[in-house]
Order: sequence, then C-alpha cells, then structure tokens
Amino acid sequence: MKLTTRQFKQTARAELNDARTQKFLQILPQRLSALRQAAYQSFTDADATHRFGHAIREEVIQRLPELLEDFEKNALANGAQIFWARDSAAANHYIASLAKAKGARYVTKGKSMVTEELGLNEALALEGIEAWETDLGEFIAQLLGKPPFHIVGPAINIAVEQIRDIFLQKGVLREPTLDPVALGKAARQFLRSKFRDLQMGITGVNMAVAATGTVINVENEGNIRLNKSSPRTLVCVMSLEKVVPTLTDALHMLRVLCRSATGQKAGAYLSFDSGPRRPGEIDGPEELHIVILDNGRSAMYADPHTREALRCIRCGACLNTCPVYGQVGGYPYGWAYSGPMGQVLTPALQGLTDTGDLVRACTLCHRCKIICPAGIDHPSLLLYYRHQDVQKNPRLGGRGAALGEWLGHTLFSLAGTRYGYWRLFTKLARLAANRQRRGDWIHGISAYTQGWFQSRDLPALPEKSFHERWEESKKAEDKR
Amino acid sequence: MKLNHSQKKKVSLFIPCTVDLVLPAIGESTAALVRHLGCTPVYHREQTCCGLMAFNSGFRQQARRLARHFIEVFENDEVIVSPSGSCVAMVKQRYPELFEDQPDWQRRALALAPRVFELSQFIVDHLGIRDLGGACNAKVAFHESCSTLNALGIGPQPKALISAVRGASLVYFKGADVCCGFGGTFSNAFPDISTALVTQKVNAYIESQADLLVMCDPGCLLNIQGFLHRRHPERRALHLAEFLAESIREESKT
Amino acid sequence: MKDSSINSREEILTRLKAAARAPVGPRPVLPPAREYALDAAQMQKLFVEQLKAQGGVAHSVSDSAALRAKLAEICRQEGISRAMAATDEVVETLDLKAWGAAAGVEIFLASDFPERNAYTQAVFDQVQAGITGADFAVAESGTLVLVHNSRQPRLISLAPLIHFAVVPVQRIVPTYEVALEKIFSAGSYPSQVSLITGPSMTADIQATPFRGMHGPQKLVVVIVETW
Repeated sequence: MKLTTRQFKQTARAELNDARTQKFLQILPQRLSALRQAAYQSFTDADATHRFGHAIREEVIQRLPELLEDFEKNALANGAQIFWARDSAAANHYIASLAKAKGARYVTKGKSMVTEELGLNEALALEGIEAWETDLGEFIAQLLGKPPFHIVGPAINIAVEQIRDIFLQKGVLREPTLDPVALGKAARQFLRSKFRDLQMGITGVNMAVAATGTVINVENEGNIRLNKSSPRTLVCVMSLEKVVPTLTDALHMLRVLCRSATGQKAGAYLSFDSGPRRPGEIDGPEELHIVILDNGRSAMYADPHTREALRCIRCGACLNTCPVYGQVGGYPYGWAYSGPMGQVLTPALQGLTDTGDLVRACTLCHRCKIICPAGIDHPSLLLYYRHQDVQKNPRLGGRGAALGEWLGHTLFSLAGTRYGYWRLFTKLARLAANRQRRGDWIHGISAYTQGWFQSRDLPALPEKSFHERWEESKKAEDKR
Repeated sequence: MKLNHSQKKKVSLFIPCTVDLVLPAIGESTAALVRHLGCTPVYHREQTCCGLMAFNSGFRQQARRLARHFIEVFENDEVIVSPSGSCVAMVKQRYPELFEDQPDWQRRALALAPRVFELSQFIVDHLGIRDLGGACNAKVAFHESCSTLNALGIGPQPKALISAVRGASLVYFKGADVCCGFGGTFSNAFPDISTALVTQKVNAYIESQADLLVMCDPGCLLNIQGFLHRRHPERRALHLAEFLAESIREESKT
Repeated sequence: MKDSSINSREEILTRLKAAARAPVGPRPVLPPAREYALDAAQMQKLFVEQLKAQGGVAHSVSDSAALRAKLAEICRQEGISRAMAATDEVVETLDLKAWGAAAGVEIFLASDFPERNAYTQAVFDQVQAGITGADFAVAESGTLVLVHNSRQPRLISLAPLIHFAVVPVQRIVPTYEVALEKIFSAGSYPSQVSLITGPSMTADIQATPFRGMHGPQKLVVVIVETW
C-alpha cells in the first residue's frame, strides 16, 4: 500500500469539508465507544480486566522471541508450515510463488491490515494473480482503490450510489439498486463464485497461541471462515507481535478485543486453527502456511520506546475515542493503520521522514492511552517520535529541526535559565506582540502564527506581567 | 473552612509562562485563593517556564535546560501549586521521562513530583476542603481539560468546588470531556482540525444555555476565549481560579 | 525459499534476543468471571439471552422426539426441502435421513459425495440449511463451540443460509475456558474449532445491518432438555 501520510494536512482539510465523512464521524465513533462501554459492564471487574490485558501484552513484548519459538514448534507439530519473512518483498514473493505452484489463477482474502501493509494485492497482480477482498467493506474499498476509512467499517462512508456504480461496472451487480441489503446480497453471490472452487485463501491472524501453535481469527461476516475452509491451500499472515503465551491469555484478549472493536461480547465467528485438515476431513486446507512477518518490527523491538507499539491488538478503540480522528476520519493517516494506532505504528514501520506531521497531529489528550486494552502510552510515544524527528534518528530518519524553530526554542530556553534574561525576554515579547494590537486584542502577528489566528484572537499582552504586579505589590506591602 | 494559624503553611506558586505574560489575572486569583485558605503564597521570582512547549515540540535538549532550572528553583518547597493542569502534568509525569538518561536529575525530578499540585487538586485532595464559600448566580458549564482529567486524573475536584459556590449550578455540557483542540503548537500547526474542535466545543457550550464556561488550564482558555472573542464576543470563558476568586469577592461585598 | 526463511528466522530471532528486556512481573489479580456462580438454569437463560442479543434464534424442547417435530415445523415455515447434516455425536443419534423422509426434507451427508468438489457444490448451492450439533454452548456470550473433524465438516455450519444447531442442555458451560480446556486437553488438537455467536453479519454499507453476508442468515439453536 502506497504511503500518503505526507499529505496528512491536505487530506484532513478535504475530509473536514466532505459532508459524507462528517456525517459518519458524527455517528460511528460515538456509537462504537458507547457499545464498548456497555459491553465492559459484563466483566466482574472491568478495571481489573483492562489491567490484566495490559499484563498479557507486556509479557508478550518482553518474551517475544521465546514465544515465537514456542509457537513455531507447536505449529509445526500441528502440521502447519512456517515461513519467516524479513520484509514485505519476501512475504509477497513467498505467497505469490505458492499461488503459482498451486495453479491458482486468483486468491481470496479475509480482511487483514497486515496484507494491506504488505501491499500484497498489488504484488500478486504483478504476478498475474487476482486477489479478491471478501470482507464487504474491504471489497468495496478495493474496487474503488480507497484505503480503509475505519478499521471496523473500511467503506462505511462510501455513498450507495458510488457502490452501485462500481458494482455495475465490475459485474457484481446486474440490475441497478440503491438498497444496501440488495447490494450486500449481490456481493455475496459474486464472492461465492470465488469461494466455491478455491485453490488458495489468505487471511491475517488476530492471535497466535504459543502454547498450542494455534492461529485465531475474529470476524462477523463469515468470509474468513470461508477463506479457511474452502481452499486447498491456506496462508495465514501474522505480524510477529500477534503471538500470545497461552490459550487462556488468548481468550482474555479476545474478550477485550471484541468488546473494544465493535462492542460485541464475541464476534459472530472466532476460528481457531491448529494445522491443516486431518485425514478423513472433507473440507479445510490440505496445507496451512503461516507467514511470520517482521517488516521492521525486530528493529522496532530493539528500541524500548518503539517496542511499546508492538502491544497493539488492532481493536480500533483508540480511533473511536480520538478527537482528531473524530474530525478527519481514516484517510489522512495515509496507510493501513489509522487513528492513534496508525500514529504509533506507521512512524516505526515507515520511518519519520514522511510521518512528521502524523506524529504532531495529536493534541496529547490521552484518551487513547486510557482506552487502550493493550496498555500503549500513545502520547508518550508520539512525544518520543517528535524528539527523534527533530534529532534525525539514525534508524527512523526524520526531518530534523527547522532552523527558525530550533533557534526559537534555544533562545527561549536560554532566556529561561536566568532571571535577568527572562525579564528582558518577556518585555521584548510583549513589545513585539502588542505592536499588532487593536484595543485589547491581537488579530494576527506573523505568517508563522497564522494557524492560530485563522479562527482565534489573542488577548493583548497586559502592560504588566504577573511577575511585575507581584513585585509591585510586595514593594507596596513592604512600605506599609 | 480556613486553616487555623498553627496549620498555616507556605504554598509556592508555580505560575505558567502563559499566565505570567498573557493571563496574569489567573495568577493573582490563585494567590488570592491561597490566602483565602489561610496559607501564605510564596512566589519565586526566578521561575520562568517549565519547558512544556519545547518538550511537546520534540526539543528535549532545550526542555531539559528549562526543567533543570525549574527543579533548582522549586525543589526546596514543600507544596507547589499551579493553575495549569498541563504544566503540572509536565513536571510530575514528563520530567522523569525527559531525564531518563540523567539519573541524578531524574532522581531530583521524581523527588519533586509528589509535591506539585494542580490548584483544585491542592484544595480538595491535599487540604480536604470542598467549599470555599463564594457566591455567583450563574449556570456554569465546566470544560474538562485533557491534561487535568486524563493525564492527572483530576475530574470531580474542580466540579465540587464550583458546585459549592452559592447560587452556582453546574449544567450538563455535551462533550465536556472532549479536547477543545488546543494542544499547544497543534492549534497553530493544524488550524483546520483545531478550529473544528474548538467550534464543536463552543457550540456545545452555547447549546447548554450556561452563562459561563469554566476550566482548569490556561491553554484551553486561550483557545476557547480567543475563539469566542472572534465569533461570539458576548460569551464568557474563564479559569477556575478566576471564577472562585470572583465568587468569593462577590460574597464578601454583600 | 526455504533458505530465505531460515536466514530470516535467525536474523529476526537474533535481533529480538539481542534487545535489552525487562523481566516479566506477576500478573495482577483477576476476579473470576461472574458466570461461574450461575446454576444450570441460570446458565441456560443467559446463553439464550446472549444468543438472541446477537441475532440468533433459540428454542427449547423436552426431548429428541420434540426436537424432530420442532425441526420439521421450522423447515415447513422456512420452505426448506434440502439440508446437509453433520454426523457428530449429537446429530448422528437423530437418524435424520429417516426423519427427513417423513418431514419432506431431503437430507445429505458429507459421506454421500464421492469427493470434495461435489460436496462443496452441494453445500454451497444445493441445500438450504445445515444441521449440526455443538460440542459446547457458552453462556457468557451465547456462543456455540464446534470442533471440526471428519464428523463435523466446516462448511455445513457456514455455507447454507440457515444453520440449525442442536444443543443437549448439559453441554451449556459458563465460559470459553471450560469448553476449550476440554477440547485442547487431548494429545493432539483439532484442525479447527469455531466459536459461533449469531448469524453472519455486516453493516459495511452505510452502517445498514445485513444478515447472511457470507455465512448463514439465520442461526437457529434448539436446546434439548433431556438427552
């Protein structure tokens, strides 16, 4: 998937002016947040459950290599085949070669963010293999060539008219209709023709259980179960942090994942696969291939700050609570992962050079940190990225400090270390700002501050600062 | 309600640079409240800026310079009080991060942290006082500043103080705990998103039919007040310290 | 390809192991789930409530004779004339072929098909319903647990538009853990276990709910009180 994060501000502006986006943002995030809140009430102790989930993810990131080795050993014992992929090129090459070896002209896919990250569809297309997204929202987004708008509703903002047109154009629909249910039925029929005689299916993985070698997927539509049941060959792609120690841990995380994502206690289908079908089974894959993907994560792991982002379980609760996402939706984030989830993952995986605006597009309100079932401290991580961006981190890159900004902060901080300098600085600042005053207010200062003054005024700086007033009153007191 | 003289304690005022320069009335109100509580306000004239803006912008070296100065100025005080949730969160929560590679400074930052209080936290949690007296006939909407509510976990304290003011009633305000769009340099760097958020905040305030919008952070206040002045100049927003100090003054007049 | 995997494996694991890591502390205390305190009747009630909340349909019948009658009634209402059945422990005892002959429902079993393709065609296109038992029914979320094996093919509960699941009442358990610990305690694990909670659902177009997106439009669970 092409990274368009560099255009964050432009895309955000377009989305702020898009009536349809705004309509959905008025409803969807709040509704999902409320459902989540309600679903958490079923726990004996919601806070303890929340903290226990943090501890599971903490253990995962601290014991990651050992857990992966256990997972591999047990998955192999179950009869699965494991492919370790260093990067997206290796993963895509493996999957494409496998599809060719199996004589697959096309493959179907369950919704997975990680294959979006890989750009797998594009890579398969280059090899002459069609890849069909089968989650309804992903299917629509794919036909339209759009990134996901929301992790739970990738195309929920798309107008029915647009869906009708693309369905007619692509032969999904025969008779025009604007009925969402009829459009859904047409997609069902179309995709069934793909599932019925399927050589190869591809899914992501929500959790991989180290103790049993089991891969687990969560969904509501049944397309992932079809992807796992119908084909002769099944490929499950997991980014390496998806592993959890035990089945019990997986069940705990599934409870919080489903509640956090959609407010359901359980998605309609949770499927646990331990190896390919056994002899005597009439359906299910003859071969199960599990691709364990690094793609920058082991390097991310080496830095204890960025390692924290590997806790993420992709529930999307942070999107629903984020004030910025709530205004602009998923497109400006410009890659597979949007919202605060994307803000902590994308810079670590794609570097800071293109994501400098992304890590600053945050008011540090902390709502994501509070809601996160995996225990990620997003604000702290974003502040770290900002620092690395200014510093030009050797691995992550970065834009470096703009000279003017560096000079401003440096002079400000130097002034702030000495009483005399600081008093002088405050006087100069007042003089400079108040040159623009009109009455008690300032309506603009310089080109550098035009963002602020786009919608706001600033009170003119008072003749006397707090400091000066205090000193005067002290003097007056002393005289008395 | 007031502390008796045997308890009279010195309270060091931590005045944010925005308050010093732009909104000094908040600092004076804070000092007045401290006196009203029977404590003695102390103001270290050497104080400057806690380094929040440099830190949030990624300039940690510069932030460290300011943080070291802050620690040197304040570390001998027993109680340090500030009318700014975000500056308090910076000192309490970010200083230890800022000095993660400088153990000596980190130790000093950690030793200082528990003695720094946001104003309402100081009054309600530290002094155990929920009623400052005061009178104000007004319907009050309370904006929950993110740093105060989410970073410091201070929610009920300021609302308790407002509710205790005679004649004041807290009114429901949709999205009270959603960010106003300030975010420091965010407001200047992402003006479209910031404006959308402050518009949403102000519209909800107006819909609530409240007479006043009160908050605990000078950053939010600059944002909301600046927007109100541009679009709804008849509407009022003010800091909790100003609201409480005004209410106390009002009561003493009658 | 193999070499690439082996090299990558070493590279990835070496890098992960080289990183400085913090020791893992003890887990915080987690009080037991509420559902463990429920008696059998309360568990059944909760299971049914939760299933309905997710769009499932639940019936309760006294015994297997009543079950046959109920199935016949629903098939008549829904106009079902062809169904595929699993041959799991529960369903096998029902002699569904004989039942179907009387009820006017042609019953297929996976074993009726000489090979996989014919079975797949049938389960996708020729039958209107799938009939299965369930290994467990989990009260906490109204969830059926199906262990897939030669007697419980995967597509029977998935491809047709209606899924009938027969649940002997004693198979209702409070939580997932109770079910999965039993399933995974055996030496080798089943190739697939499905946890099914309600029919197939989506709201991907304009947030309009739509059932039966890929899997069943209706999930009908019949609880048998005496088994």
